[in-house]
Amino acid sequence: MSLLEMAEISKEFPGVLALERVSVSAERGEVLALLGENGAGKSTLVKILSGVYPYPEYGGEIRIGGRVCRFRGTRDAVEAGVTIIHQELNLVPQFSVAENIFLGREPARRGAIDQAAMEREAAAILARMRVELDPRTPVYQLSVGQQQLVEIAKALSLQARILIMDEPTSALAQSEVLHLFDLIRNLRRDGVTIIYISHKLEEIFALADRVTVLRDGQYVGTRSVAEASRDELVSMMVGRELGELYPKAQAGLGEAVLEVEGLSAERPDRPGAFAVDGVSFQLHAGEVLGLAGLLGAGRTELALTLFGAWPGPCRGRVRIGGCEALPRSPREAIDAGLALVTEDRKLTGLVLGMGTGENVSLASLPDLSPLGVVDRRAEESLVRRYVQELRVKVSRLEQPVGTLSGGNQQKVVLAKWLATNPKVLILDEPTRGIDVGAKAEVYQIIGELAARGVAILMISSELPELLAMSDRILVMHQGRAAAVLDRVEATQERIMAYATGGV
Amino acid sequence: MTRSNLRSYSMLGALVLMGLVSALLTGGVFVRPDNLMNLAVQVSVNGVLAVGMTLIIMTGGIDLGVGSMLALIGVAAAKVFGLGGGAVAAIVVALAAGLLVGAWNGFFLTRLGLPPFIVTLGTMTIARGLALVMSEERALPIVNHAFYQLGNANVPRVAALAALGVMAAYGLWTHLRSANRNWLHLALTLAGLALAGWVLGDPSVEGLPMTVVIFAVVAAAGSFVLNRSRFGRHLRAIGGNASAAALSGINVRRTLFLDYALMGLLAAVAALLLASRLASGVPTAGNMAELDAIAAVVIGGTSLAGGSGTVGGTLVGAFIIGLLNNVLVLMNVQSNFQYIIKGLIIMGAVLLDVRKK
Repeated sequence: MSLLEMAEISKEFPGVLALERVSVSAERGEVLALLGENGAGKSTLVKILSGVYPYPEYGGEIRIGGRVCRFRGTRDAVEAGVTIIHQELNLVPQFSVAENIFLGREPARRGAIDQAAMEREAAAILARMRVELDPRTPVYQLSVGQQQLVEIAKALSLQARILIMDEPTSALAQSEVLHLFDLIRNLRRDGVTIIYISHKLEEIFALADRVTVLRDGQYVGTRSVAEASRDELVSMMVGRELGELYPKAQAGLGEAVLEVEGLSAERPDRPGAFAVDGVSFQLHAGEVLGLAGLLGAGRTELALTLFGAWPGPCRGRVRIGGCEALPRSPREAIDAGLALVTEDRKLTGLVLGMGTGENVSLASLPDLSPLGVVDRRAEESLVRRYVQELRVKVSRLEQPVGTLSGGNQQKVVLAKWLATNPKVLILDEPTRGIDVGAKAEVYQIIGELAARGVAILMISSELPELLAMSDRILVMHQGRAAAVLDRVEATQERIMAYATGGV
Repeated sequence: MTRSNLRSYSMLGALVLMGLVSALLTGGVFVRPDNLMNLAVQVSVNGVLAVGMTLIIMTGGIDLGVGSMLALIGVAAAKVFGLGGGAVAAIVVALAAGLLVGAWNGFFLTRLGLPPFIVTLGTMTIARGLALVMSEERALPIVNHAFYQLGNANVPRVAALAALGVMAAYGLWTHLRSANRNWLHLALTLAGLALAGWVLGDPSVEGLPMTVVIFAVVAAAGSFVLNRSRFGRHLRAIGGNASAAALSGINVRRTLFLDYALMGLLAAVAALLLASRLASGVPTAGNMAELDAIAAVVIGGTSLAGGSGTVGGTLVGAFIIGLLNNVLVLMNVQSNFQYIIKGLIIMGAVLLDVRKK
């Protein structure tokens, strides 16, 4: 008998059947991956398991250790040993590590919090996790990866037997990911069951014992990871064979449309420290130049500097098309023919409360309103053109963009920039947090744009995608250009060697 | 847009309901045409401020200084007359002063990076202090016929009724031309115009006060700016997500600077209306007027976090507050109790609305 059995779970939202008789089981000391596109029902399933959607708002039965569980709230689930670590971390930044671990159940003596006992217990848990963290450190001083460790420590202090992790690596640096994986393997050895939600097949192959695939709220199948192939899992997820995911054809180098020489950007908070340090490269029409590097290598900073959006001092020679100037504002950059799809579409890409159409036209307004009054007919025809071209699924153009799926939101961001008719398109992690189907579409769009002669600078932390899409790859390390590799000579190993400064 | 539209409709329903209750409580006095016209005049000053405040709160900002600006600019206008200037000079000086104060706010906000709450809190105190110093703590009388006309003259009945007719025709025309016809919107527009026509047609009403005309023009312009102009689109984008707006090529600093300057200009318009009606520059005028303006905006469905809201909603909010002031006076409620009742009703109105979502 399995430790956890979820039998025939169904969940209905008004008008949508989010889960239809889905059954999943997990053993003690197992890492079970839940795989599926956005909207497949993974989050709904774990929200039922963790008591976020309480009994009896769902159909079916949850059994833990053979006993039927009917959680009326997250508190019940925690008592039964089920803890979830959400994608967005829930920590109080000003509180210390120990205070966060014991938030809401601080050990007390005579009504006063026993600070010493709390720090001692926190230290014990962290030691058990083999994590070197001072329990007295305020959480805001920690990296995202370390904060996640605090969340895990909190779960362990709650005696979690089943630990659910929802896309835990989405904000982590490579080294932090490796540390997290080690920790998860240790937990598994200690008998903790881990339900691991991820989009990234690489992680699932590296970590999971078994993988259960969901699609459109239905159970598709469960495979032992040792026996599963990448292609099989992808086709289970999308329900069709994905022949060629990456459509980029090798380009003959056109003329150079972007020439960068000695570009540097100084950190506004630390004078003398450079986020981008003397980077030079050329980008040609129709070319995809991949930009690789670890988190903090200066890739995003390079993009912002080129786009006139770096908050600190910067210098360097930049030639875009015919004119020679480093843009001093995004407006100047746009007018020069640059476009920047930022890495976080919710934070810096979209105005979520505004309509889809208004988001698409946002960067093109000067052309649409020569006298300061928006020409709504011209706007609508521009918006319609790009919404259709990128196949954005939207019921009305007024539909708030925040209500769209991740993949559609990303297409709205792309539409916004294509509407400005750019010569150079900078893409910062263009497929982050979107499902496989939408990824394939984004790759196709990139391929089409390059074929039309748009020069593309593509930042990505997913090496397979970078290797497949790029004509050349620029590797950055600590703000400097460490190497430029041709498509034929680039491998994951070589890129990582340059990215870690090992060459 | 749809959700905030819905919200202004529900608040409009609340306004109508409050009107009916007020009619009952005052034995019909409240709905007499002369009182309704009086209400419109009373709402005008706060209404002009609230239209400007909508464009400020839309960006996630706030302007606490507008109440004190009513006093400062009123006193400044009175000073111009005191120095022998005429009505035109007074109006020009007042508008320039408003722009200047708004630009002062904008400067601290966009160039020195102070939060709007702090900047305008400072301006609020400074402007009040300046008004008191300049006037030596006395109301400065204004004796000037032309200036008096600004707030007190009436547009003749016939001209006003004709204007209403033109507006009705325009409303009908845009409705028929629009792709997705909003019948509720049309019905409400026509009902509002019909009500205005009924009030204007009554013999107890002399005509349409200039104050109300100016208020209506400001409201129409504010609505146009917000919905149709690039500037208004930029304001909404900044309120919704300032970083995304900046990275889309919007000059956030310049837009916010202009926005606060515009608020200053509208505060000057409101100050001129008030000074004309009071026939003096009063250094204690406009005390807590900023709160009435903010309340009107919030009741009207504009989010304090920025990004969404409508001028139409703000008008409804301004009339709800005006109605309370008007009815509580008609009912001889002691002014101290008026504060309490007004506060409770403002909280209740927004609470009802929040609960419904």
